[in-house]
Amino acid sequence: MIYFDNAATTMRKPQQVTDAVIHAMNSLGNAGRGVHEASLEAARTVYGTRAKLAEFFNAEDAKQIAFTANSTEALNIAIKGVLEPGDHAITTELEHNSVLRPLYEMEEKGVELSIVKSNRTGTIDYDDFEKLIKENTRVIVCTNGSNLTGNLVDVARVGQIARKHGLIFIVDASQTAGVFPIDVQAMNIDILCFTGHKSLLGPQGTGGIYVREGLAVNPLKCGGSGVQTYLKKHPDDMPTALEAGTLNGHGIAGLDAALEYLMETGIDTIREKEQALMWRFYNGIKDIHNIKIYGDFSGTERCPIVTINLGEYDSSDVSDELFVTYGISTRPGAHCAPLMHKALGTVEQGAVRFSFSHYNTEEEVDTAIAALRELTGA
Amino acid sequence: MSDKKEINYYILFKTYTQGMALHELLRGNGIRSRISPAPRSIQGELGCGMSLLIMAEDIDAVRRCIEENNAEYHDIVPLENQINPNRHKFC
Repeated sequence: MIYFDNAATTMRKPQQVTDAVIHAMNSLGNAGRGVHEASLEAARTVYGTRAKLAEFFNAEDAKQIAFTANSTEALNIAIKGVLEPGDHAITTELEHNSVLRPLYEMEEKGVELSIVKSNRTGTIDYDDFEKLIKENTRVIVCTNGSNLTGNLVDVARVGQIARKHGLIFIVDASQTAGVFPIDVQAMNIDILCFTGHKSLLGPQGTGGIYVREGLAVNPLKCGGSGVQTYLKKHPDDMPTALEAGTLNGHGIAGLDAALEYLMETGIDTIREKEQALMWRFYNGIKDIHNIKIYGDFSGTERCPIVTINLGEYDSSDVSDELFVTYGISTRPGAHCAPLMHKALGTVEQGAVRFSFSHYNTEEEVDTAIAALRELTGA
Repeated sequence: MSDKKEINYYILFKTYTQGMALHELLRGNGIRSRISPAPRSIQGELGCGMSLLIMAEDIDAVRRCIEENNAEYHDIVPLENQINPNRHKFC
């Protein structure tokens, strides 16, 4: 099988990630619960991973990183944890439902919502953020990269706008964490939400949230913390404030190994390989009659995603044909990005997304190009 | 054999992460500390937390290191070592 669905999850992980999870499943106790050797090994693993993530994103301190199950959980914590009825939030049409649905839920509770529009190539006008800011605006939340088109959002630029107006800036880094450099302090990011199983190359069920020191976020859940047992209220010290219940220690051990791999290999090296594969694919299909490509390919930096349609074919039929006949895995349909599909005009047809990993090869890309040539009769 | 009990110092924390951070900091500075269950008698409201056990001869160095690095902790509590393995050996 040729796996081109890495924007959904990177299926192939470094071997050391698999090894770390297996080792952890045979040796880890419960981090933060007791201090015997097994518990301590878990605690060291969790703390070490926290420290690596803090270094990775240039957080002020390891304690500002809390673990979650995925980006969706992190975004729910962020959005529901800082917005109150009467507040105004700004987001964009590029967003995934993990941003939109928590915002819609808050809208029902009295939060006002404004959405920066996208053009037909899936990019935004940055001046629109400032035009939408009102007296009660509290939050800007946006993606770092579209999961549908691969277009990047200049979060440093949006962060400057947020800082200028004293707004909380929440970033969804699901498609970028692990492959694009993210510096939360330099980019004025107040809350960064990320998943562990995509470009960070860790196991599913891992993810996290960075919260700027001094920013209070109401927790989504409370319960066991391993500390301050006799208090009725869940501790409000980071990261415990946002980590009720036993952590996914086994997964975090895998994420730790993945971070080591990324640091050893270098995210620039990984990004360059992925982008080279993406451009090879793009250049191989862009002139094929009857293929429509979505997104902005005018710059050089973008997520390694190419999303297309073939004539008027239903995207699901195309994706199925690619898999059944050619063994190529892609993602058709709506990609949990309803507003982006509306902006691109692809609600009815959906679209076929090809997303690349540095583990993919040029031969695999060439096979996909040849398959599309056959399917279009080129 | 002397009946004089040893004094140990326990550093208490509000979160496990604070404790792990200080443990790493002390280790990096070559100062001994051992992660230990916080004795119930000194936990107060912290409850079932971890602590760093410091030997009396190291406590001044620990305090200096904490101050120099602005490290977070809840309290430092001296406590007599309550278990004498020699006395209880044959119980």
